[in-house]
Amino acid sequence: MALRLGREAAGARPRAETVRWSRRTPVLMILPAVVVLAAITLFPLLFTLRLTVLSWELTTGFPPQFIGVQNFVRVLTQDPRFWNAMANTGVLVAVGVGLQAVIGTGLALELNRLRRGRALVLSLLLIPVMIAPVIAGFQFRMILNDQYGPLNYLLDALTFGRVRGFAWLADPRVALGAVMATDVWQWAPFMTLVVLAGLQSLPGELLEAAEVDGATGLQALRRVTLPLLLPVIVIGVLVRVMDTFKLFDIVYQLTGGGPGNVTETIAYYTYLQGFKFFSLGYTAAMSFVQLVVITIVAQVFLHYQKRVRGGAVA
Amino acid sequence: MRRRSPARRLVTGLVLLAALVFFLFPVLWMVLTSFKSNPEFFAYPPVFIPKSFALTNYLNAMRLPPDGRGGLQGVRDSLIVSTGSMVISLLAGAPAAYSFARFRTGGENLSFWVLSTRMFPPVASALPLFLVFKSLHLLDTHWALIVANTIFNLPFVIWLLKGFFEDLPAELEEAAVIDGTTIFGAFRRVALPLVAPGLVATALFCFIFTWNEFMFALLLTRSDVRTLTIIVPSLVGGHEILWGQVAAVGVVAIIPNILLALLLQRFLVRGLTLGAVKG
Amino acid sequence: MRWNARALCAVVAALVLALTAGTGSAPTGPAAAAMQAPKEQHAITWEYPPKFSNVTVNVVGDAGHNLAPYEFWRDHFPKAGITIKIIEVPFEGVYEKEKTEFVAGSGAFDVVTFYPAYIGDFASNGYLEPLDEYMKKQPDGVWNPHQEDVLPPFRELYNKWAGKTYALTIDGDAHMMIYRKDLFANPAEQAAFKARYGRALAPPQTWDDWLRVGAFFTRKKGQQLAGQTLDRDFYGSAEFAKRGFSFAWFVDRWAASGELYFDDTMKPQINTPAAVAALQNFVDSLKNAPPDVRGYGYDELRDALLNGNVAMVVQWTDVPKKGADPSQSKVVGRLGYGRVPGLVIGGKVVHRAMMPVGRVVAVAASSKNKLAAYWVAKHIAYDMSLEDVSTAFTGLDVNRGVHFKHPEAYSDFKTTAEAASYLDRVKEALADGYPEIFIPGAAQYEDALDLHVNKALAGQETPKQALDAVAKEWTAITDRLGRQKQIELWHQALNSYKIAGLVK
Repeated sequence: MALRLGREAAGARPRAETVRWSRRTPVLMILPAVVVLAAITLFPLLFTLRLTVLSWELTTGFPPQFIGVQNFVRVLTQDPRFWNAMANTGVLVAVGVGLQAVIGTGLALELNRLRRGRALVLSLLLIPVMIAPVIAGFQFRMILNDQYGPLNYLLDALTFGRVRGFAWLADPRVALGAVMATDVWQWAPFMTLVVLAGLQSLPGELLEAAEVDGATGLQALRRVTLPLLLPVIVIGVLVRVMDTFKLFDIVYQLTGGGPGNVTETIAYYTYLQGFKFFSLGYTAAMSFVQLVVITIVAQVFLHYQKRVRGGAVA
Repeated sequence: MRRRSPARRLVTGLVLLAALVFFLFPVLWMVLTSFKSNPEFFAYPPVFIPKSFALTNYLNAMRLPPDGRGGLQGVRDSLIVSTGSMVISLLAGAPAAYSFARFRTGGENLSFWVLSTRMFPPVASALPLFLVFKSLHLLDTHWALIVANTIFNLPFVIWLLKGFFEDLPAELEEAAVIDGTTIFGAFRRVALPLVAPGLVATALFCFIFTWNEFMFALLLTRSDVRTLTIIVPSLVGGHEILWGQVAAVGVVAIIPNILLALLLQRFLVRGLTLGAVKG
Repeated sequence: MRWNARALCAVVAALVLALTAGTGSAPTGPAAAAMQAPKEQHAITWEYPPKFSNVTVNVVGDAGHNLAPYEFWRDHFPKAGITIKIIEVPFEGVYEKEKTEFVAGSGAFDVVTFYPAYIGDFASNGYLEPLDEYMKKQPDGVWNPHQEDVLPPFRELYNKWAGKTYALTIDGDAHMMIYRKDLFANPAEQAAFKARYGRALAPPQTWDDWLRVGAFFTRKKGQQLAGQTLDRDFYGSAEFAKRGFSFAWFVDRWAASGELYFDDTMKPQINTPAAVAALQNFVDSLKNAPPDVRGYGYDELRDALLNGNVAMVVQWTDVPKKGADPSQSKVVGRLGYGRVPGLVIGGKVVHRAMMPVGRVVAVAASSKNKLAAYWVAKHIAYDMSLEDVSTAFTGLDVNRGVHFKHPEAYSDFKTTAEAASYLDRVKEALADGYPEIFIPGAAQYEDALDLHVNKALAGQETPKQALDAVAKEWTAITDRLGRQKQIELWHQALNSYKIAGLVK
């Protein structure tokens, strides 16, 4: 096995005959992680898989019954609430994570220019990530309060009464936006740190070489820096996308899924089905459908990443 | 990289200032709220400066029962669980990430499987995990939470570090190997130090994710282990929310995270080892 | 910077570990600093049981002030040879936590506190120990909780299942109307109302009145109210319109019609014309409420009134206690209480208040110390109950006859007369309580109802569409849970309704 360059460049180095290449080492290196993960996740996975073909309502005393694919039929065709939740989550993913990526990357690039004080500014910027979503939910519930919250008060005061804020959590038109804003507030700094770490790991010569070649700042950014950063950005975004499917705490605190169901996310609805209704079979089916959706999304991202990196030249 | 025109610097300054205001205002609000007492929480006009800076809310929230709500126990338990999960995930995850990045071990499928374990909705895994831990008599212990959180942290560590490793040009490691190191040696002495920034980010986030995790903490513990995320909802009764104490717990909760971040900052510097190895 | 941060870390970690070294397995308990046990009234006589041999009783309940009684009377338990271990669960997590442990048969709890909407689920699945035998044990002073003193709606609907007693009430929640009596008493306002509507200004008796009075008192900033110029918009009424529990405020408007959730065959009755009218009234009421009312939960609703923003609300019976507390209320001494508005039926006004939430304690069937657990439950639910419901340090509310006979115990009110007047209103309100759905599946039925009620409030559906959708979902839920069984269970519930006098 040969070490491969990250950019698929042909291995110019001769295979070293003088070196002991242990075939086992790479396998040994993944073993602990794979074993641990398999041990913890295999049972839940199989357990849930089994549940998907059952009807098992724990509120009744009845034993589980085999119902074949009916749960899936129900999820896919008879549950508009599921799709509403998916749509809400989709908005949070597409717009929310997009904003997190843009803002996060932008801030990382600016932070990278900072000579002194970077540690302090970065640590401060990271505080939103450090606050438990549960607690953040409480704070935003106060801040976004229409009658007593500082946000609307400041909007009113600073614009001399011309801009009167919305009822952020109670107006069906903006509630999802409020949830999204809270989520962006909390996680954009995550992207900042990830991208900044990526920037720090980049080989300096490449960027210097670009500058020597006469590239302007923006060009260097677009053609050198960003493509190099892409793997890291994609992973960061992928993690955020996966986590947005789990968005629960904030929705729970701020709106309970309302008004109506404009802020009901898929994680919230799944939680209701699983832990309030204890409809085990249906919850399992819902979880599997989500898993399929996320898997597809992830595959798309990874494909895109491979293509871009294949095209970028070192 | 020597673009240091004053105009550009001003832009940088303004952008960062705006960012600080946007991201820190709610934090400031939380700190101020932690000093407020009853009529100040929902008042008009909103109270920006609390009338007293007494530490009442902190004492009430942090002191152990029966004097307070036990916030301190929450800090202790959260520290243990977060550190534990972070350490295990890093120890197991870093080598695996390297192996995936450099050797494509197990092909795409294995590495994707690793990622996919993180995609599984936690609602679905909660009940089976509860049953497993119950049969192992691990409910209400730190281990239960450490293990449960590793499900999310380990794939995260592996995939994030994989990305960082893939960005490293391989010449340095190949040079080391040719000089006689083993693969593991190349990993440990060459690659790992070079991705130190990535390690830092990963470690910090593992810690934070676990620190803030709620669902498993709720279901897998009873009273011997209580993380901070469980203590906060206990400040919410059906008919009263102790806003001040919630804020106080919130403030205390970020301190270990900030300390950890400050501690790890020095590794977030590029070029720390590049020059050293090359020479 | 480096060594500073390191040293700080180490110091903090050491401090935390040192300070918490003592916790280990020590029992945690509920607490509020500077909280003292209320004065013992000795209005209820009770005795200690024969001493148990150092038995540990695990009590699970929603965290916060409702576990305070175990703290108040913590000296009593060792005298009975019992050690209490408290397991706190967040208010919203009670059902899932308890259900999960029950399902897994973990035996972790001895005394369970829960919301009575779950009694059907817990009792019919065998998680709870029937208490009738324990209540009959002698001597009477030790074991008898005198259930005959508990108000009938609570006793029949929330404590019993299929004729057996499974739980004891510790918190009797019901709705009442609370309003700004100073505004209603103001002569200028009275005159204006009379001029506009041709009738006297009075706290609303019917839901139509509610809309009328609400509209009347809704004023903009700069207008006059009771002789003062408003510096903020003022609103006639406010509601709990947040997702999660808004359905209770719908039921408040529907309950007086006498209709029930289902008929004999489990056909949903939720979309009758009376129900649709009730939901329409709810939607209309939002016009007289603050613009963010759709986000109002318990706190926001209470604060709207106590901050002086709103003229009237329907809410739980513990709000007046807070209204009398100057640290929480800007309208101390200006609150009046009354029955939840009703409907005109057959020429008379019929009132019926919803009984949402509430709390009961029960003994787990898997407990290894049932007798001790029973005594603990009985001690909190009966022996010390007067002290527990009369103090503002808990959120527990009156639920027994004896609670009404001692207004002097309610020390939050400035005068005993005020306390007595509050108690009279509560008693009226509780006379005709209307329960939540408490058969198995309650969570699903109520969630479906809440979702569509809330959608109507948000303007996403009309009241008729909303309630028709609820009926359709309820039918689907019933089928999914097993129609035959659900019908049987509903018949049992109907039986309890009859015994409680809710249904003829």
